Amino acid sequence: MFYEFDERQRAFREKVRQTYEKEVRPIVEEYEKKESFPVFLFRRLGEEHLLCLRCPKKYGGPGMDKISECISMEELNRICAGIGAGVMVHGGLGTDPILRFGSEGLKQTYLPPAVRGEKIGAFALTEPNAGSDASSLRTLAIKVEGRYRLNGSKTFITNGTICDFVTVAAYTHPEKRGTGINLFVVNREDQGFSVIKKLRKLGNHTADTAELAFDDCFVPKERMIGEQECGGLEQLEETLKSGRITYGARSTGVAQAAFETTLSYVREAKRRGNLLQKSQAIRFILAEMAMFIEVMRYTTYRGAWLFDQGMASMKDASIVKLFCTETLQKIVMKAIEIQKEAGLRTDNPIQRYFRDARLFKIPEGTSEIQHLVIARELGI
Amino acid sequence: MEFELSEEQKDIQKAAEEFARGEFDPDLALELDQRGIFPETIWKKATRLGFIGIHYPEEVGGQGLSLLESILVMEAFCRRDSGIGSALSLVDLGSDLILKFGSRDQKEKFLPPIIQGEKQMTVAFGESEDEQDLSVLSTQAEKREEGYLVKGVKKYVLNLSRADMFVILCRESGEQWLPLIVEKDQDRMEIYPIEKMGLKMISSGDLHLQSVGVPYENRLGERGQEMDLFQYYHRVKSLRFLAQALGLMEGAFERALRYSTQREQFGRRLSQFQVIKHKLAEMQVGIEISRSLIYKAALEVERGELYPKALFISKIEVGRRMTGIVDEALQIFGGYGYMAEEEIERFYRDAWTIRTQLGTEEEMRDLLSERIVGKKNEP
Repeated sequence: MFYEFDERQRAFREKVRQTYEKEVRPIVEEYEKKESFPVFLFRRLGEEHLLCLRCPKKYGGPGMDKISECISMEELNRICAGIGAGVMVHGGLGTDPILRFGSEGLKQTYLPPAVRGEKIGAFALTEPNAGSDASSLRTLAIKVEGRYRLNGSKTFITNGTICDFVTVAAYTHPEKRGTGINLFVVNREDQGFSVIKKLRKLGNHTADTAELAFDDCFVPKERMIGEQECGGLEQLEETLKSGRITYGARSTGVAQAAFETTLSYVREAKRRGNLLQKSQAIRFILAEMAMFIEVMRYTTYRGAWLFDQGMASMKDASIVKLFCTETLQKIVMKAIEIQKEAGLRTDNPIQRYFRDARLFKIPEGTSEIQHLVIARELGI
Repeated sequence: MEFELSEEQKDIQKAAEEFARGEFDPDLALELDQRGIFPETIWKKATRLGFIGIHYPEEVGGQGLSLLESILVMEAFCRRDSGIGSALSLVDLGSDLILKFGSRDQKEKFLPPIIQGEKQMTVAFGESEDEQDLSVLSTQAEKREEGYLVKGVKKYVLNLSRADMFVILCRESGEQWLPLIVEKDQDRMEIYPIEKMGLKMISSGDLHLQSVGVPYENRLGERGQEMDLFQYYHRVKSLRFLAQALGLMEGAFERALRYSTQREQFGRRLSQFQVIKHKLAEMQVGIEISRSLIYKAALEVERGELYPKALFISKIEVGRRMTGIVDEALQIFGGYGYMAEEEIERFYRDAWTIRTQLGTEEEMRDLLSERIVGKKNEP
């Protein structure tokens, strides 16, 4: 049974924490305010071997496991969820399908520069009319003389305006609803690909989120991921399975940050002349937060361990995402409430954690979708 | 027992709703919120139509109605837009104190400009993030021949930048509490607005008073009434925020309902999924409970009840219900709900800002439990 991190994992956590504290912490406020992603960070993190952690050494990657990826994501999100989103999509959804299902040619082309942070990846599944219901995609990839012609639009795409390539889901066989899907790698410079606009959001301000359009965008057939037409659904499922576990790590990181801020607030604050930390109700709240975070962490790393063993089912992944993202809400809501007006000041990070956390119940399957998935896998 | 609004009250509600529908534009609201600007033009129009100070007596230009009617107006405004609605609900904070404790002269001097849309008023009591904590009250009023000289720092003052008059609580000669009506003095007051997460159209921040001169006749209330005044302010302020909360949750519900009947996924409208239908049903539960509690609380405060139980209870329950409703509303909108272009994103930030003004659940439970088991029930 998996109980505790081993020495190598503890050392890795120590290393990533130091790196993110040094490289990321100082620039967070500036870029949050600008609502833009610090693009130079990709190369910086590439130099530190902190991108695409599961990418094998053969393609220049660190060749680590899901547990290590979660450690890194937890620590990065503890500092900034918006930056965490960009790095997560780059090393997760954006490159995972290439890494796991792509041809040797695609791997050789896209993985080494992604690992070094020279090329930034994105992932485009959601469309204006296809959110929870991914099978209702309207983007088409129709084969024309050895190439695929892509037409359609995508929205809420992380790294949308800054990406160099994007992994796009489209129907090669629209008559096969749900199964006629394939994934394609589209390059930024491909004709017919354009960024329509950058979107402003409640939180995750550093994350770059955009609407993309494909207008007669021709892609050579070699850039389809996998050999077979109609093979994309399974690739999507596997990619999302991994991504949902990552959300456990993201949630744990943000929860940890919110908890630390709240704990230090409670230590100092006074109410009616009394120290807030003497209040029994407040002590219970802090105790509960600590308990929640412990359980979130166990759940996340158990999911990651199952994934590494090849044993994780979609139910396991959905449980990680559902439990951790929902529990995170409880923590940040209580944290902002007890800090009263001080908690709402934009110079207090707690309101950022609060706004950022709210997102997590939505992408890569809303909480409602996670319930549906879990219930389905229960066989009812 | 009558449990219905009167025809007159329903008319007021309808008039406020129509005004808000005609004047509160979502694009304008988005812009005002993002730039942190007070809705000046809408405020002027609202005063011309008599929506501000509806509960002031007719002698000063009001309509002689009760607190409940003023709450109906705030509710209707916030239902249409939480940001603009809140801003309009806070332009005359503190006037309730003049209404209840002020002299005839004070009423005649300070209230008409509010009714006429010339001036705004606010309250500056707190000196920490806990406005009710007066253990730290250190603003001093020094007695001089020509009046008081006020020195001190007030924190988290609402409507800070726009207010022309402030009701300020100070200490006179070190100890005794002294509430004063202080007119804006550009030279001796400095304001430091803070940027906050929600209700961005109404500023909030610190007020520095550097020997501001205040005439003796601006003392508010009789000696010995300070505690009553302090308590009454918090009750009326809570009522105002509760009214905003009620309007906000109704607005969030209506938007979520509309969206759920339009948006299709899996070949069905969202409103056809049981889980979504139940979310909408639960929102209705929250709204009805809140409305009953808040209207009852308004009557309690109006009557000057010593222990306004419904008010205390609604501060816990309404705050919780409101943030729950706006959270589910955002969830129904999915990714769109998280985008700044969608009104619900602002409602979400505003809801938590309003909730903060109601105080924490723990504080309310402290107050309620004192009533149940007494303050000093240790053996």
